[in-house]
Amino acid sequence: MARPRKVFYRRRKVCKFCADKIDYIDYKDTKLLQQFIPERSKILPRRISGTCARHQRLLQQAIKRARHLAMIPFTTD
Amino acid sequence: MRTYELVFLVDPRVSDEDVVAMTQEYKQMISAGGSRVVKEESWGRRKLAYPIAKLNEGKYVLLGVESDGGKSALPEVEHRMRQNDKILRYLTVRTDEDLKRAASRHPGRVPHVVSHAAAPHADEGSAAAAAPGGEV
Repeated sequence: MARPRKVFYRRRKVCKFCADKIDYIDYKDTKLLQQFIPERSKILPRRISGTCARHQRLLQQAIKRARHLAMIPFTTD
Repeated sequence: MRTYELVFLVDPRVSDEDVVAMTQEYKQMISAGGSRVVKEESWGRRKLAYPIAKLNEGKYVLLGVESDGGKSALPEVEHRMRQNDKILRYLTVRTDEDLKRAASRHPGRVPHVVSHAAAPHADEGSAAAAAPGGEV
């Protein structure tokens, strides 16, 4: 008797930047950066967002620059 | 050729004319140092993501600078900004390398560089200025 096998659906995560062909992540683009900083304002990890290593690196740099200029928060209390 | 972006954040209590005067001074220093100012943006009064020196707003100015390598006036300008207590933050970023790298990956695609020039929330800024206290 074949036991009904549980099927896991896992949405394949695709790097947003690769998909959108974004090669330059501007620190001034707060709208874009905001998508990668959830409520606690921490940088969304690659494991969650699916961003590729290259773009995560660029993103991280951009977020830190924007934070320095107080365009996006470090934390939310 | 190297390109830089220089953004600085000025105390909102400084009048717009004084901000222009300060910007002018830095521009002069840059051109005197043999570089060219190729872009100038005033983003106006904007809300800060977190308070700096107990201020919740600031005026942003961006300068795009082109230089041919060698000695540039930018360290000098940064030094001046550090000493100016009306400047809450500044950031200098070298952009030519990253833009070039981006262009080589997808030739023909123009990298998306955001401009915040001409603040759209001018009304908001003046409302906050009129409010007693203004900050804190």
